[in-house]
Amino acid sequence: MNIIAGQIADFLKNYAPFNQLTSDQLAEIANNIRVINLEKKQTLFKINETLHDSFYVVASGVVNVSVIADAEESVINKCHEGTIFGLRPFFAKNKYKTTAKAREESLVYAIPIAVFKPLLANNSEVLNFLLENFASNLPEDRSSEGNIASDGFYSEKQSEAQFFQTLAYNTTPLLATSDNTAQEVAQLMAESLKNNVIIFEKSGPIGIVTHADLASKIATGRYPINIPVSNIMSSPVVTVLENVSLAEAQLLMLKNNVTHLCVTVDGTDKSTIKGVISEHDLIAAQASNPGVLIKEVKRSLSSNELKEIRARLTNLIQSSIQKNIPLTHITNIASEINFAVLKRAVELSILELGSPPARFAWLSIGSQGRKEQLLLTDQDSILVFEDVAQDKYIEVKDYFLKLGKKTTATLEKIGYGLCPNGHMASNMLWCKSLTDWIKQYNNWMNTTRENTDNLSSIFFDCELVIGELKIESAINNIISENAYNNNLFFDFLGNDALRKNSPLSFFKKFIVEEEGIHKDKFDIKTRALMPLIDSARLFTLSHEIKGINNTYTRFKQLAIADPKHSEIYLNCAEAYLFLTRIRTLEGIKNENSGQYINLEELSKNDREKLKNALIPMKELEELIKDKFQLTQFS
Amino acid sequence: MLDWLKNINKEHPEFWKEYLAKFSKKSNRYVILSTEATGDSIEKDVITFISAFAVVNDSISIKDSFETILLQYRFMHDNHLSNEYIIESRLLKLSEPEALKTFIEYLGNGILVGHQIQSDVAMINASLERLECGKLRNEALDIDIMHRKLNEINDDKELSLEELTDYYKIQKTHTNSTTEKAYKIALLFLKLKFKLGLK
Repeated sequence: MNIIAGQIADFLKNYAPFNQLTSDQLAEIANNIRVINLEKKQTLFKINETLHDSFYVVASGVVNVSVIADAEESVINKCHEGTIFGLRPFFAKNKYKTTAKAREESLVYAIPIAVFKPLLANNSEVLNFLLENFASNLPEDRSSEGNIASDGFYSEKQSEAQFFQTLAYNTTPLLATSDNTAQEVAQLMAESLKNNVIIFEKSGPIGIVTHADLASKIATGRYPINIPVSNIMSSPVVTVLENVSLAEAQLLMLKNNVTHLCVTVDGTDKSTIKGVISEHDLIAAQASNPGVLIKEVKRSLSSNELKEIRARLTNLIQSSIQKNIPLTHITNIASEINFAVLKRAVELSILELGSPPARFAWLSIGSQGRKEQLLLTDQDSILVFEDVAQDKYIEVKDYFLKLGKKTTATLEKIGYGLCPNGHMASNMLWCKSLTDWIKQYNNWMNTTRENTDNLSSIFFDCELVIGELKIESAINNIISENAYNNNLFFDFLGNDALRKNSPLSFFKKFIVEEEGIHKDKFDIKTRALMPLIDSARLFTLSHEIKGINNTYTRFKQLAIADPKHSEIYLNCAEAYLFLTRIRTLEGIKNENSGQYINLEELSKNDREKLKNALIPMKELEELIKDKFQLTQFS
Repeated sequence: MLDWLKNINKEHPEFWKEYLAKFSKKSNRYVILSTEATGDSIEKDVITFISAFAVVNDSISIKDSFETILLQYRFMHDNHLSNEYIIESRLLKLSEPEALKTFIEYLGNGILVGHQIQSDVAMINASLERLECGKLRNEALDIDIMHRKLNEINDDKELSLEELTDYYKIQKTHTNSTTEKAYKIALLFLKLKFKLGLK
């Protein structure tokens, strides 16, 4: 056997369903593989293209499989290394229903169907695996079963990622012709427990009979039960295209004042009936709304379940942004769910460790504390427990450290990376008693000059996740007490805010990374977002605005508290929203923290907008320099 | 240039005539070639390993590949080299005439692609001459030249295969065998072909 074929066989062996094949069978497959190189954005196959004679395995890179709904392309699967896709030729004879496009430079192995099919006949497990995954529509199926990308075989029952786009509905509607009697139709409905029957002719649907029709026209005695159904049906029936979106279906029902929509091949009443959408389907589709997610978080029992919910949240955020839902709403919803996840993670640890020996507060700090975490960025937290007797101290601290470690590990599993600076409750330094914390904050804020070592501004954005509200307010009080007229401290924060490198050069060009793996990309986090966040914190502390952690609302509040400069603040608030939006989109697209923006991928319009969003920062900077004498630390 | 004169009286072997006959048609098959030789000298050195993959329709066909060790008994003997470790390996082993014959049959009228392909071709031509055959008729593409054309590089600095694979971020292989080289050249070729827009 060829060395390369051997290497390919070794690669395939690691992934289902190939791990169930014998080495001879693997060798046979590897020998017949064709290797295809895809450049970034190159298409492998398109919707409505004739089927290829092979299916594909990603060897390296990422391939996006997408469908088109509502004239919008939406990715239903990101295929990573080892993922199988393009299985349609196995099970169907018509054309591709999905588009496969390389997200980055990728290599794929094309496995000829003709070679693979004989193996299926002898190996029912492999066949089942392929079938299940081909037909699977739930994301959890995929994560537990492995690595096959759903192919949109049941395109009407898309994954939950699609609930903004497509609807699950009844594809086997009850049918009757216009010469059936009302009684026959009612009988049909009763037998199959459905509340509607489509009345059709050769050319297509001509009307619909629902419970309401029977109640108002038969049960009232207006018509005898043996009259032809054409007399009582609602006609014409409202018809729609196959891949109608939830929003569109809702609108159509409201507009036409109907409870059912008939799905036909081309969306007119002159073509074949494909199914029927009822109000119930719309309600079911809405079951993936944020409220339900929170409920599921509260019920979940393992990090895996939480991880799956967090993944759905990412989908929710993605589709919300695409639907142009205001970012403030999305952030609110996302942070509620994030907090629910964090809270549940702590609860799960408590369930395991037994109830805590003292009252405590688990506080999120940094972006989580500001409730601005849209992407899966790293976790930052601190733990404060109430003061206990000296002899108990070690025991209690020990328990809370364990709690911290367990919880951060759970959160890491869910996808929140560990904080590289160790700002987590699992760290000895950041898990201590209330008195120690008060001392810590006093030290930081009153003798700032000597204590800058482990001081990070993120400690001043904290939010209670779980535990005693009193402890949180004690911490907040100590911060605001100490902040009062504390020029030295403000100097520190001011310098900290201004130290970040400016985003634009003198000639209003973006300053991009000069070296490293992010060369030529724009560091939106440190160059644009952090200065805004830091300045907002500085101003709210100095204006003694309490209880507001979110950067956007901080700016809004500042505009009220300091009307002289309200315009600057409002501009910053808008700029902040826009920058977050850009970063989030980038992060979702690349499945990372979105810190580095590839400017070339932005549209010209977005690039201009981005540049404009950076302009208010300059004014803000002047304002800081003006208000605080930044001499002590500079 | 006077090859045809030199060879005019020679009777070519049968497989060579068949090879020549294949050129009546144009090919869309690329044969990615990598060879291993005992040295650079065309007269003194001999080929010890030939590896090739075919590229058809923008994909590398693993099945349509060629991988053979050439047993160079005479060369080994003349230079007092041992060939024990070669005998041990599980790969296909053929004598030089046999190996070249099968290679020529495999190659057909395909377009040759390689890294510094001219030296490969020269080496093969030298061996072919020993078999009373003419020179290779195939068109030959060099990925190094393709790379320079794509990036409009004008200097004469030749890039090694390693530099090229690094440049195009091609995954490293475990070892650096001739077959793996051929495979890497094939991957490079796919990328370059796409970028240059070759049909």
